[in-house]
Amino acid sequence: MSRWYIESSAQNDIAVSCRIRLARNLQGIPFPARMTADDRRELNNRVKNAVLNGNSPFAKNLKFINMCDIPEIQRYAMVERHIISPEFAAKTDNSAIILSEDESISIMIGEEDHLRIQVISAGMDLKKAYDLAESVDTFLGASLNFAFDDRLGYLTECPTNLGTGLRASVMLHLPALENNGEISNLIDSISKIGFTVRGMYGEGSKSLASLYQISNQITLGISESNALENLKVIATQLIEKEQAARQSLDIIKLEDICWRAVGTLQNARILSSEEMINLISRVKLGKGMGIINKECSPIKILIEAQPFMLMQVNGSMNADDRDIYRANMIREALL
Amino acid sequence: MLCEKCGKNHATTHIKTVVNGIVREYNLCSSCAAQSGYNTNSITGMLASMLGDMPSPKLQSQKTCKVCGSTFADIAHSGKMGCSECYNTFKDEILPYLKRVHGATQHTGKIPNRAPLIVRPKEKTIDELRQELSRLVADEKYEQAAIVRDKIKEMEGNSK
Repeated sequence: MSRWYIESSAQNDIAVSCRIRLARNLQGIPFPARMTADDRRELNNRVKNAVLNGNSPFAKNLKFINMCDIPEIQRYAMVERHIISPEFAAKTDNSAIILSEDESISIMIGEEDHLRIQVISAGMDLKKAYDLAESVDTFLGASLNFAFDDRLGYLTECPTNLGTGLRASVMLHLPALENNGEISNLIDSISKIGFTVRGMYGEGSKSLASLYQISNQITLGISESNALENLKVIATQLIEKEQAARQSLDIIKLEDICWRAVGTLQNARILSSEEMINLISRVKLGKGMGIINKECSPIKILIEAQPFMLMQVNGSMNADDRDIYRANMIREALL
Repeated sequence: MLCEKCGKNHATTHIKTVVNGIVREYNLCSSCAAQSGYNTNSITGMLASMLGDMPSPKLQSQKTCKVCGSTFADIAHSGKMGCSECYNTFKDEILPYLKRVHGATQHTGKIPNRAPLIVRPKEKTIDELRQELSRLVADEKYEQAAIVRDKIKEMEGNSK
């Protein structure tokens, strides 16, 4: 399997990707905010041994990496690939990560919780992603003594994650709902029923790429399967609304917008991150609606043209040089 | 209904405050609500502010967690627990807030294999079945009642 953003480009659906995160903590060690250097070492060792010991079915596929061994550019490139959180990338202590070859499984050690087991995949097969995360959790739970209370469930540093410790999210591409203004009402109503919507690549509810992440908030008093089912129902409704909104777009205006985006990307010599994100979103819409039949992978370009992803390939650059390098890279990708 | 503050957007956040026994209601749009500090999107922020609103005796309590040394004031300030034992130490303080955040205080999800208290949900299930049984008998639904009765017998047999 390839990385999620490469896979996603091939599918080119409104549902871009989905993610499962399970928060787990070990009994007897304070939560990360209160850990000493010794606690941290102890935590790393115990998790490392549990994951990579001889009879682990995951040992072959997973790699233990000390975050301090990874250069800053690569750490933030991991943030841009949605593998780790920005907070985790900024940590200078003895944090570590366990990562699978295709990056579909990652376990952040010592983030807000001792363990953040994450599975990310293209499309919207939440159940499949959950099953994988759950199997990692079950395996680790057999040898690590997870903090669990029969009333409160899995105990987490922040009480908002208590219970299942499950945060499931779906990333959707919703340009037509954004265009007709429906999105802000939808965000309001979704956030009232225990879910959060946030725009990716932008501040607040305004999203640069029309990409929105919908995730569950409630983790106590709801089973994992119900939480996933609810998220799926909401995401499916949003997808249907987006499809309907796309049908009422003025086709010639839409063609114009989409092809202009292709034109700019094919010809620009300087391309800021913000402009690129905006244009790539239009290309993705054009491809989704069958207007653009050009071979290209919008989500792959979107991720690979992020600042640290570029620098990971070409070394450290200032913002001006990055914009030139980005334009070159995308011109080649769209030849 | 329009937002009371800006008068432009649809009011989607309804706030009820009780100050010195006087109840007031506000109807705001999401952006005015956020500006007034009622940020509905950040549960973490909300929790820290809710815990921070505790009556001062609780915040000044000298009770400390025996594992990590946190006081309740530490937790209220950061919105984060110090260690898993804190949930036990400060159970009385934290439960009302969990109820407000999650709407529930009983975990219904996955139970780890080795959890020693795995028996408890099972006992509860028998209780529920007994209640169901008496309901079915009262409704004279004897065929269904017999099925439930057998289930209870089976479970009682297993737990012996």
